[in-house]
Amino acid sequence: MNKLIFKVLILASVLLSSLCVIAKDAYLEPEEFLKQAFNNNVPKPDKLWVTKEIKEEANNILGHDLGIVRLRYWDDKNKRAWILEEIGRDKPITVGLITADKKIQQLKVLIFRESRGWEVKYPFFTDQFKNAALDKDTELDKKIDGISGATLSVKALTKIAKLALYLDSQVKNKK
Amino acid sequence: MFRFFQKWHPKIGVFAILFVIILVITGIALNHTQELNLNKRYIQSDWLLDFYKIKPAHDPVAFKSGKTWVTQFGERIYFNNIEIADNVSNLIGITHANSMFVVAYDDQVALFTGSGEHIEQLTSAQGVPAGMKAIGVNNQDDVVIKTEHSYYKVNLDELDWHEFHNLEASWSMSSVLPEQLKTELMNEYRGKGLSVERVLLDLHSGRILGKGGVYIVDTIAILLLFLSLSGIWMWWVRK
Repeated sequence: MNKLIFKVLILASVLLSSLCVIAKDAYLEPEEFLKQAFNNNVPKPDKLWVTKEIKEEANNILGHDLGIVRLRYWDDKNKRAWILEEIGRDKPITVGLITADKKIQQLKVLIFRESRGWEVKYPFFTDQFKNAALDKDTELDKKIDGISGATLSVKALTKIAKLALYLDSQVKNKK
Repeated sequence: MFRFFQKWHPKIGVFAILFVIILVITGIALNHTQELNLNKRYIQSDWLLDFYKIKPAHDPVAFKSGKTWVTQFGERIYFNNIEIADNVSNLIGITHANSMFVVAYDDQVALFTGSGEHIEQLTSAQGVPAGMKAIGVNNQDDVVIKTEHSYYKVNLDELDWHEFHNLEASWSMSSVLPEQLKTELMNEYRGKGLSVERVLLDLHSGRILGKGGVYIVDTIAILLLFLSLSGIWMWWVRK
């Protein structure tokens, strides 16, 4: 009986210790994202200078300093493309977004460098951002369901979505 | 059987108590990593940093433009003594054009003001060519980039990239980093090289003692299970 118990315990501990999470970076090169978004006819990038006002709101959205003073976006008069980065837990997640009519048309995770939370790259999650817009409190007007175990990546993508919509509104103001 | 458990239950309990304390404290702390910012707090103790061998794998690679230095220490890039990038494989160089410092690394180009303010980050999406080998400036103050097979001249304001077979430029060349800056950067590198979370994870899993430590923690886990089962057994038999 004793021997059997010990054998079972040892087997169980070996099995548990051999379990591991396999996480890979998800890649769609930003250049490729733009080609897909504009049907291989990528417009020249425009620039948006980060004014004091923009910086303040962007910092509020991100919860930290935006860190740059000039941003690029691609505009074909019908829609705009943005490539933005935000740190999930330790490393930046690169995200491509298409905005039109003050709404998100598409959100795609282009490069994922974290070891956890990679589930946010799947369409079942990113499709939730489709048609999301900003309300007057600079919050998304749609509820985004989280993914357990990927809380920080979900937060990062939500911040990026808000930032893209805010920046989009600033381009409209500029024009 | 009862005597066996009666003899070994207290002995194993005393043996395991120190490990249980460590596992409980580290486990609770790790459960609250975000709230306690454990992944953003760094160990400053020299002996622990030495124990973990926290130092760059290679000697620093540095480039100079005027009085401004850009240095690769391990996987990090510093603009003078400010960290500007992490997870970098290859620093290519720095040049100064149109009142901006232009730093090239991996497949990215970063633009900075003279005071180190980050203006913009450019990647392949903005036209940065793949396989950059060198960066420089020509006598018209244009940034010039050399790749494996071509040369590119770029207007960084309009992002106009023009490809050439050959271009003359004053190329950024690696230089020997001054000792004072090297020491400063080494301290900066080590100071952000080991998070509290890493140490707690290694304590919790036993990895702080290497592969053997993991087996020690596995053994402790089995002993804890033994304590639970033997406790229940003895209670059951007495009952």
